[in-house]
Amino acid sequence: MTPAAIGVDVGSTTCKAVAIDADGRILARAVEPLDPRIEPQVERLVAAVGGGAGPEVPLGATGYGRKRVKAGRAVTEITCHARGAYARTGRPGVLVDMGGQDTKVIRVGAAGEVLDFAMNDKCAAGTGRFLEVILGRLRVPFDEVGALAGGAAKAVTVSSTCTVFAESEVISLVAGGAPPDGIVKGLHQALASRVAALARAVASGAPEMFLSGGVALNAAMGAALRDALARPVRVVPEPQLVGALGAALCVLR
Amino acid sequence: MTGPRPTRKEYVARQRALHGRPSVAVLPVHYPKELLTALGVLAVELWGPPGPPRGDAAGRLQPYVCALARNALAFLASGGADAVDGVLFPHTCDSIQGLATLAADFGGWSRPAFTFLHPRGPPRPSARAFLRAELRSLAAALEPLAGRSLTPAKLAWALELHAEIHAARAALLDQRPRVALSDPELYALLRRGEWLWPEEHLAELRAARAVMADRPAVQGVPILVSGYVPEPPAILEALGAVGAYVAADDYAAVGRRVVRPGAPGSAGPEEDPWDRLVARCWAAPPCPTRSADPGARAAHLVALAERSGARGVLLHVVKFCEPELFDVPAIRQAFAARGTPVLVLEGELEAELSAQAVTRIEAFVELVSAREAA
Amino acid sequence: MILRRVQYEAARRVVGPVLASLDAWQRRLRRRRGRPRAGPFGPPLQSTRKLKELMAVHYYQGRFADGAVPVAWVTSGFPVEVLRPLGFHAVYPENHAAICGVQRLVPALSDAAEAEGFSRDLCSYARTDLGSVIAGRTPVGRLPRPDLLACCTNICQTVLYWYRALAERLGVPLVLVDTPYVYGREAKPHLLRYVRDQLEELVRVAERVSGRRTEPEALAEAARLAKVGTDLWGECLALGRHRPAPWTAIDGFFHMAPIVSLRGSEACNAYYRLLRDELADRVRRGVGGIRDERHRLLWDNLPIWFAVRELSTLFAERGFNFVCTSYTNAWAEAGSRIDPADPLGSAASAYTHVILNQDLPNRLGILRRLARDYAADGAVLHSDRSCKPYSIGQVDLKERLAAELGIRVLLLEADHSDPRAWAAEQGENRLTAFMEGFA
Repeated sequence: MTPAAIGVDVGSTTCKAVAIDADGRILARAVEPLDPRIEPQVERLVAAVGGGAGPEVPLGATGYGRKRVKAGRAVTEITCHARGAYARTGRPGVLVDMGGQDTKVIRVGAAGEVLDFAMNDKCAAGTGRFLEVILGRLRVPFDEVGALAGGAAKAVTVSSTCTVFAESEVISLVAGGAPPDGIVKGLHQALASRVAALARAVASGAPEMFLSGGVALNAAMGAALRDALARPVRVVPEPQLVGALGAALCVLR
Repeated sequence: MTGPRPTRKEYVARQRALHGRPSVAVLPVHYPKELLTALGVLAVELWGPPGPPRGDAAGRLQPYVCALARNALAFLASGGADAVDGVLFPHTCDSIQGLATLAADFGGWSRPAFTFLHPRGPPRPSARAFLRAELRSLAAALEPLAGRSLTPAKLAWALELHAEIHAARAALLDQRPRVALSDPELYALLRRGEWLWPEEHLAELRAARAVMADRPAVQGVPILVSGYVPEPPAILEALGAVGAYVAADDYAAVGRRVVRPGAPGSAGPEEDPWDRLVARCWAAPPCPTRSADPGARAAHLVALAERSGARGVLLHVVKFCEPELFDVPAIRQAFAARGTPVLVLEGELEAELSAQAVTRIEAFVELVSAREAA
Repeated sequence: MILRRVQYEAARRVVGPVLASLDAWQRRLRRRRGRPRAGPFGPPLQSTRKLKELMAVHYYQGRFADGAVPVAWVTSGFPVEVLRPLGFHAVYPENHAAICGVQRLVPALSDAAEAEGFSRDLCSYARTDLGSVIAGRTPVGRLPRPDLLACCTNICQTVLYWYRALAERLGVPLVLVDTPYVYGREAKPHLLRYVRDQLEELVRVAERVSGRRTEPEALAEAARLAKVGTDLWGECLALGRHRPAPWTAIDGFFHMAPIVSLRGSEACNAYYRLLRDELADRVRRGVGGIRDERHRLLWDNLPIWFAVRELSTLFAERGFNFVCTSYTNAWAEAGSRIDPADPLGSAASAYTHVILNQDLPNRLGILRRLARDYAADGAVLHSDRSCKPYSIGQVDLKERLAAELGIRVLLLEADHSDPRAWAAEQGENRLTAFMEGFA
């Protein structure tokens, strides 16, 4: 079946592509770690999800590398994430998208439009990179993180606001005998509190909160955000594909 | 215009060689330019420079001090301002306050250094009296460098000249859609006023006014921009690239210092020129480095947006700039009440705009455009 | 209104002191049951009990102030003597923010301010205070609503932006005493005239708000009390010149609360007489603020409120005592210029020539003088992220102090009340390494 539109999200750590039908339903999807040779990778993913469809299928491109996609129409990840999240949830609210290097908070309106947004400063401490660096140090595999944090009785406070300083703080804590599951829980709390600070200004009075991005696949993150914001936070289905979906919807005629 | 334009440095040297004019570098924001003009001194404003600071001197200021102070200190200390005869530091904020004594007393600028202590708050009688005395004190301090005394007649002449410049700048800014120049071109023209001899700047402004179109010549999403200075110029290009343009300007370097005709200070020539200068100092648009009322600033920006039809507001603040950052909530609230989106973009007087900054600008224009279409 | 006034007075004279002594009793009981006090410090100052009572009563009384007497929120450098004769109850948001800093409440309060759009890069005192107002939360029970905001820019320009935001939010008039910066040894005459003129204008506004007239004798008396108070505070500080110093400058940060918040009152002066006598007695008996004083240090800039105890202990354990600070010293300097015979004119001079309102050569002179007078063999310059007027120039001051006096100087990056700006692990490492460098 020829897709009605294709969207690519060329992020900082992964490249995602999605093909949709005329009703906006996802027909095919692909996710890969980002290859610095963006153009060949995008071509390959587009071909894969497009089922061999030709250049007449409109192509939307978003993410950090969107302008490198020659055949696509570039739309920022803010707009695309709003469209994509709204398409999956059907509801207005505030979307928190936590990517590898970027965290965005987007206020989504009743028609999927962007009402307001905030992005993290030039600092890794509010992004997935924070967890990646430190969990890597602790040698905790990604798929065990959720269970580890969830199972911890008490969080061990990690107070450093900087990823690099937090890393040495964690090493001290481990050397001092602090329980690893508590540290992992504490890390999630630290990250959640920074994201919550970013979210508060945009989110005040918003009906619902959603979470997307690669980090959303980590169940402990959703839980920590819920605590930090003191509100329910729902993970958008297929959270990594929200941007690519939105890009496809943006070019759908 | 024939031949390539001189650089700022060449221009300063030429002014001295051809006209015997000394020059004084001036730190932001507010200062009595009329005084310098009346004394035949060329003012060379230092709005940066942008880009990474040159030399070691920036290390004398901690990373949480704004880029303005750090870049300026580095510039002065590395000889960047050696073409001028003196430096004037207005009492703009804590950082410039400290920069002045750091450079002049602890190293970085060994030639004449002047300060201008403009009062804060509303034009109370105490503040007026002080400002008048401070202006006279500054004039007296500049006279040796100028090589002449300041006469009331010269001051009156300078006030008239600058009033005409303000009027011309106001016309170009207030009727911006009729100016058939891109934002980068328009700002280049306006910013040459930061260092051109005023009569030359006025001539360029008049030439631009003479070719203004009868009808709007600029299309796109109109945005109100407020902030410190349009650096890097790429910010204007980024707006243009996504179909937006600056419909209203409240940059401290540009629109925020334009005194509009009819404002106090542009009164008749029979008034004492010193009184006129004092009044002029309060007649500029609200600025957090001078006034005492965030509500007044927000109201001014709302009026500016209304007059220009701006559909979005970009607050282009310099990171760590306290006077600007304290006003952000009041400005956001005022525009939220009108349903006008606001983007706060923090810059650091960087030479290149980061991809993240470009994304923010693009996303903001997408947001505003979608609302217009809806 | 009358009932309110009765409550207000009763709070100060009766209820407050009773509650304070009850609290003191409870603490004493708890201490007796607990472990005996050991550690690197000398015996605790007895006066501290009285200090706590004084400040507790002040804050307790504050709960009943609005509606009873005119209330002003005042900056720490404001010439409050002008308001005393009109019966104002003065609240110091900076002092309140310091309390929040010590109790580690700043992140939560700052979050409330940040949610409204105030940047985290702004002064943490301002974020704390605005956050407290926005969230309606305070650790001191309740702060009275102000009838007047009184702001003097001699400590920084930021207080003006902060108080403007408060005025907007609370719908309350703001009186400004704008003290332009002094480049050179003395402020120019027209600058002092400006400040004096503003004080006259201020008096008129304060009279309107309070519904009272300023009696010249009352104004002179307030000036006299303020002068006596600052001189007494200076005497307390000067006792730190002895070896061993009878107290630590860290104690000083707490004991300065009255000279900041209660300046111009007899209660403030009575307290400092008590403290001075106790310190003088300790000097006579050779009792030190720390047990084993081996090195004497100078501290520059505000304290790191949320870590005072830990850092103080860190130093004391290694025999280091902070014997002088430019911060505590600031409230002793003004005294010499105050003249009860010319309250407004002398206040204009006293409040213009404060350390933060004068140029770097003046600042260096003060640090040099303190280091010499107190025989400091090292210095820590707190590079306070929140306080640019105090922190700008420290890199140069560090080099110059070290070169001129031949002492070791450390520049320490932190914040006066926001723990999120303090990398504890790294900071303590640097401090330890610094101390290890002393022979």
